[in-house]
Amino acid sequence: MIRLENVTKRYGSETVAVRDASFDVAKGDFVFLVGPSGSGKSTILRLINRQERPERGDVWVAGQNVNDLPDSRVPFLRRNMGNVFQDYKLLTGKTVFENIAFALEVIGKPRHVIARQVPIVLELVGLAGKEDRFPNQLSGGEQQRVSIARAFVNRPLILLADEPTGNLDPATGEGIMSLLDEINQTGTTVVMATHDHRVVNAMRRRVIQLDRGVIVRDQERGVYE
Amino acid sequence: MIARIAYAFREMWASFRRNLTLTAAAILTSAIALLLVGTTLLIQRAFENLLVQWKGDVAMIVFVRSDATPEQIALIDESIRSAPTIINVDKLEYLDKTQTYEEAKRIFAGDPVTLSLLTPENIPSEFKVVPLTQDPALVRSLSEQYRSLPGVEDVALAEDEFQVISTLSRFVRTVTLVMSLVLLVVAVGLIWNTIRTAMFARRREIEVMKLVGATNWFIRVPFMLEGLLQGLIGAVLSCGGLWALNSAWTGGVAGFKPGTGISSLVVPSGYLSAVMVVILLIGAFAGAIGSAIAASRFLDV
Repeated sequence: MIRLENVTKRYGSETVAVRDASFDVAKGDFVFLVGPSGSGKSTILRLINRQERPERGDVWVAGQNVNDLPDSRVPFLRRNMGNVFQDYKLLTGKTVFENIAFALEVIGKPRHVIARQVPIVLELVGLAGKEDRFPNQLSGGEQQRVSIARAFVNRPLILLADEPTGNLDPATGEGIMSLLDEINQTGTTVVMATHDHRVVNAMRRRVIQLDRGVIVRDQERGVYE
Repeated sequence: MIARIAYAFREMWASFRRNLTLTAAAILTSAIALLLVGTTLLIQRAFENLLVQWKGDVAMIVFVRSDATPEQIALIDESIRSAPTIINVDKLEYLDKTQTYEEAKRIFAGDPVTLSLLTPENIPSEFKVVPLTQDPALVRSLSEQYRSLPGVEDVALAEDEFQVISTLSRFVRTVTLVMSLVLLVVAVGLIWNTIRTAMFARRREIEVMKLVGATNWFIRVPFMLEGLLQGLIGAVLSCGGLWALNSAWTGGVAGFKPGTGISSLVVPSGYLSAVMVVILLIGAFAGAIGSAIAASRFLDV
């Protein structure tokens, strides 16, 4: 589903964000990218959804070489991916329903599809009944659930999550992790960047560890260390 | 498809109302710029009425009496052609009564009384003479010579009548054209700025849109529509102003003494409509351009 081949990415001329990284993620996998801040976890996610282009090497997503993709095709690549962020990136002026509907609206889905899909995904993330709330009327955990609903409403092949539990207390974070696990069970490939030991150790999934841009460990059913 | 169009218009309208002050400034500037463009076109046309007889370096017009015989006309033609070193014979032009009458319709556009006295039968025909020489005295002496020919009613010299006006018209045209171009650039700049502000205010939204896979065109179109609407509203305002200006002017001109030439300085309403269409097009175009530049420039947020 995702393959990196000897990928190197630098910001400016000095800072090496990712150095010669290679790995393969099969369809339906759940992968943790771990390592301290600045180790290149986020950069890898940004390379996968083509927010960044590598300096060297190739990034493949669903059989497509992302580097060769013309800019005009990038939106269609991204329709196969959901994104979840540490800071949720919800639109504060829109209700929960509108935030999720927005993701479908801007890719041109008709209203009747939106009206059908949004309640289903709200039910899935456990927010049924809160569709008319605004983001600032929700707890952090609930906001993250809205953001996951938005990422998943289009049934993407891949879910990219960047520190999704970073702003949440452990109990709430656990809830988010079981939600991501549930989404993974539906066949969606999940790649999650985190430096949260607890969630990695509790889940026992594949772990790719980065240190200053270099992959130092790639382990099935790993722990954080 | 319908969902997309509805979305674009809804977003355009929401954004349009959000930045009222900036929007008003952009609209007013484009209105003033376009008003000036329109005025330039009208002034140009009005002067053209006055100068229509003298287009193309014509410096002398020999008017032939309406009752002149074909022999007399041939004689006049021959005398003019007999001085090929002074007169540009290739450019010598003869307008028969019908053609002269067509011309008169423009010259007396604002003077219906005089026009009503003329008919294609009683109007003089005319020779338009383009001299080769730069010496006005030579042209003048030639005109005296033609005046004495049988069948000639009168000889008019550009020097006496329209040299000043033609210079004036060129000057006015240049000044108004430059001013309107400058204002047009300012208007495009202001539209650019309102769109940029609108996009900056919504950068989070745009970021999310890009991440969930909205195409750049999908993001751009509402902003472009917004700019287009601003330009178009400005154009509508300036059309109103242009109409008011032209009505007031046409009314004022009627008060001048006939025969002073001022009465030629009006434009027919058909031309005014054409100018308005042009103004609307320029307005819409300028708005779309300004916002398209802004939208492309700031889409990488």
